[in-house]
Amino acid sequence: MAALRANWFYLAVLIGLLILPAYAESEFVTAVMPRGLSGSALLHIFVLIFFFAFMSQAWNIIGGFAGQLSIGHAAFFGIGAYVSTICYVHLGLTPWLGMFVAAVFTALVGAGLGLISFHYGLKGPFFALVTVAFAEITRLILLHWEFVGAANGILLPFSPNPTFWEFQFTSKEPYYYIALAMMLASIALVAWIARSRFGYYLHAIRQDEDAAEAVGVPTKRCKVQAIALSAALAGLGGTFYAQYTQYIVPDDMVVGRVSVEILLGAVIGGAGTVMGPIVGAFILIPVGEATRVIFEGGGTGTSLSTLIAADMSFGDKFVAYLDYLAAGGGGGLAIILYGCLLMVVVLGMPGGVLPWLAGLRARARRRAEASA
Amino acid sequence: MSLMEAKGVTRRFGGLTAVNAVDFRVEQGEIVGLIGPNGAGKTTFFNLISGFLRPDEGEIRFDGQSIIGHKPSDICKRGMTRTFQIVKPFPEMTVTDNVMVGAFNHHRDRAAARAKASEVIELVGLGPQAAKLGRELTVAGRKRVELAKALATEPKLMLLDEVMAGLTPSEVAGMIEVLGRVRAAGVTMVIVEHVMQVIMNLSDRIYVLHHGEAIAEGAPDQIVSDAKVTKAYLGESFVAEAGGGAAS
Amino acid sequence: MSDVYLQALISGLMIGGVYALVAVGLTLIFGVMDIINFAHGEFLMFGMYGAFFASALFGIDPYLSAVMALPLFFAIGWAVQGVLIRPVVGKSHAIQILLTLGLSLLMQALAQFLFSADFQSLKVDYGSATFDLSGARVSYTRLAAFAISMGMCAALWVFLQRTDTGKALRACAEEHEGAQAVGIDIARMYKIAFGLGIACVAIAGIVMTPFFYVAPVVGPKFTLVAFVIVVLGGLGNIPGAVAGALIVGVVESVGALVMPSPSLKDLAVYVLFILVLLFRPQGLFGGKGA
Ligand SMILES: Nc1ncnc2c1ncn2[C@@H]1O[C@H](COP(=O)(O)OP(=O)(O)OP(=O)(O)O)[C@@H](O)[C@H]1O
Ligand SMILES: [Mg+2]
Repeated sequence: MAALRANWFYLAVLIGLLILPAYAESEFVTAVMPRGLSGSALLHIFVLIFFFAFMSQAWNIIGGFAGQLSIGHAAFFGIGAYVSTICYVHLGLTPWLGMFVAAVFTALVGAGLGLISFHYGLKGPFFALVTVAFAEITRLILLHWEFVGAANGILLPFSPNPTFWEFQFTSKEPYYYIALAMMLASIALVAWIARSRFGYYLHAIRQDEDAAEAVGVPTKRCKVQAIALSAALAGLGGTFYAQYTQYIVPDDMVVGRVSVEILLGAVIGGAGTVMGPIVGAFILIPVGEATRVIFEGGGTGTSLSTLIAADMSFGDKFVAYLDYLAAGGGGGLAIILYGCLLMVVVLGMPGGVLPWLAGLRARARRRAEASA
Repeated sequence: MSLMEAKGVTRRFGGLTAVNAVDFRVEQGEIVGLIGPNGAGKTTFFNLISGFLRPDEGEIRFDGQSIIGHKPSDICKRGMTRTFQIVKPFPEMTVTDNVMVGAFNHHRDRAAARAKASEVIELVGLGPQAAKLGRELTVAGRKRVELAKALATEPKLMLLDEVMAGLTPSEVAGMIEVLGRVRAAGVTMVIVEHVMQVIMNLSDRIYVLHHGEAIAEGAPDQIVSDAKVTKAYLGESFVAEAGGGAAS
Repeated sequence: MSDVYLQALISGLMIGGVYALVAVGLTLIFGVMDIINFAHGEFLMFGMYGAFFASALFGIDPYLSAVMALPLFFAIGWAVQGVLIRPVVGKSHAIQILLTLGLSLLMQALAQFLFSADFQSLKVDYGSATFDLSGARVSYTRLAAFAISMGMCAALWVFLQRTDTGKALRACAEEHEGAQAVGIDIARMYKIAFGLGIACVAIAGIVMTPFFYVAPVVGPKFTLVAFVIVVLGGLGNIPGAVAGALIVGVVESVGALVMPSPSLKDLAVYVLFILVLLFRPQGLFGGKGA
């Protein structure tokens, strides 16, 4: 029953998303959205949602289903972006094909990392630490490799009249639909995994590796396959990001914050569930963007350093400082909220929002049965 | 050719020799009992033959082939599955899903695995609990899930580590009945159990382990009258008989 | 030994001493509570900001700040343990990692909000004074950071060996149930361990401020380096952590010499880390000797 209703809900949302670009500039949208958010600014936010939902879904395969906490997915994301961009810039290969080169490459890197880690039996926090170190190593290499622009990264060549083949568009709509399609495809893939033997095996591994091994689950092989698949998807996401922003640079992409943002959606929505990462991204990105729009509008113009050095009494400095904070301080409010959300979810609903809701429903049903 | 044969299997933990040069043999269709006081090395021996531990010395053959160095999942694929003394149901999966994980061993397809799982669930008498989560089960329920998961892999040989420990007498009776059905289905078994009546009634042949060594082997009536066995259990017998039920 | 290498060796040992204090805090928390604290470096960052503002606004010398930080950050650690960490003690590692990861994200962003993303540096008159040590230049502030950190590590070691509280902490590290059985108040021990661990890392941050920039993003690097050291030294092993820290300090500064670019020095450390995790997960000196 509940599942049926949920499916209708998802279908309605999907139809809404499909037709949204046509109405992005309509009076209705302008009227209901905060601060009249509409048009390409609105579509941009949805692109971000789809993109993060997709990345989180990619992480979900190894981090959620297989329960191997990776805190280094930004590396696969970054490598994917670099591979397709190098193919495009140096070999003239269209990103539409380059993205699959990227996926194959990141899958191999992921499989290599998995083979090494799982062969030596790295589990839990130690696997997590290796992924962090792996991402740092990736960042350092990209940062010092002149061929890929080192710290300056790569600015994608801009074509004034882009063709579809170049994976460049002057308006937001094509990106919107591409991101939406990627998200839907990732949902379909993971939904299929969840019902397959592979999915059962990954869930078993997450819950008890020895018990899984005892009943014939080749745990090491499954984990390697899971991380390879997860890395491949993250690589595809990297290509999309490169084409969307037209600019890739290591210190924006392969950093801890991005790794955490990738896993955040899944953990908040429900790691190891099919719709968890999607629900998570639909919660996180609007919250983050709203915070940015509402609190980080103006800025006082004074920097903190000038304030500290200013020739004022301590009291005046303090008042000026409060003004500074009221105008959004140094920024970062959205991330503060993300951090709080993560902690609240971990403490209050450890499985994530979707499993928590399912638990509530089950309890209500049991209460209803008990009283009947 | 024996279904499973271990020769001179030895495993040391630091200075302690937990399993010492054990010879062990199981024929097709048998139920073999493995007994011994607490700490005798029974679980360690299971860990060795099921691939969870690697023996320091010795040879283990299953179905005619050496399985030393093989992973447990591989050994399971070949037809030898074990249960855990400290039961390990998948806590966040339903009983059906728990058993399906085992059933996937021989059925790639989900519907086939589900069908196999329900068959096994009926066999072990878990039908009414099929929709419960692993963590919601009672001790008796967990023990049955442990058995069902192993059975669903369609083993030729099943190693059961104290599936009756912690059960009430009526639950024990139920479990004996289940094992009877499993035997009728043609599965060979090695049973570790502290409840002597059970092991004496079920087993065709019994091995006795003491301080890691196999000190006796034979039919149940031989074993009861064996002087070495009585000696091994004397002094410890009350611990084994009375405390064994709750040991885990 | 040529001069550059001697110089690298000495500066490696100097910074390694500070790393030791960072890592000892982490390993103490891990040893006693079995908690992996991903927000460790953020406490270091807040310690640095504390010293920076104390100096910039009130002219307080950073070494005085370091003294004041001990009770202050002990209290902060105590409170964080009581409120945030306590609910996840004994839960799965994934839950603990995610919680401390959330805390780290929050603290970084909070620092950005409060102090802006700008890099700051604390200036003291004696900041650039150096002396000569058989051909190598050593700055007084680095020597002081080394000496204070080493002194703190030694003091912590003596505290753990000699005092009743210290012995109780070690009992917790050995065996949780056992400690409880002999009447040790585990919840209180956890707060003390976390308080001490946080105080250590904050002080390590403060003694670095005369020669290290301050920014919201300084933390993660130290968290990771501390993990490298702790794994190297054996989880929960305090002398092991000190030895591991000196090794990491030297690997880093010698790495800066042999790598094509000095900023690649961390690469050597991370590669060392992965190698140790793979081939010697019990560390070079064995685990839980705390
Ligand atoms: N991983 C291990 N490391 C060190 N010692 C071990 C390990 N596993 C088992 N032992 C020791 O080996 C001996 C045999 O243990 P084992 O669990 O095999 O006994 P058992 O016969 O199954 O006992 P019980 O009837 O209590 O289940 C014991 O002394 C035990 O402490
Ligand atoms: Mg046993």
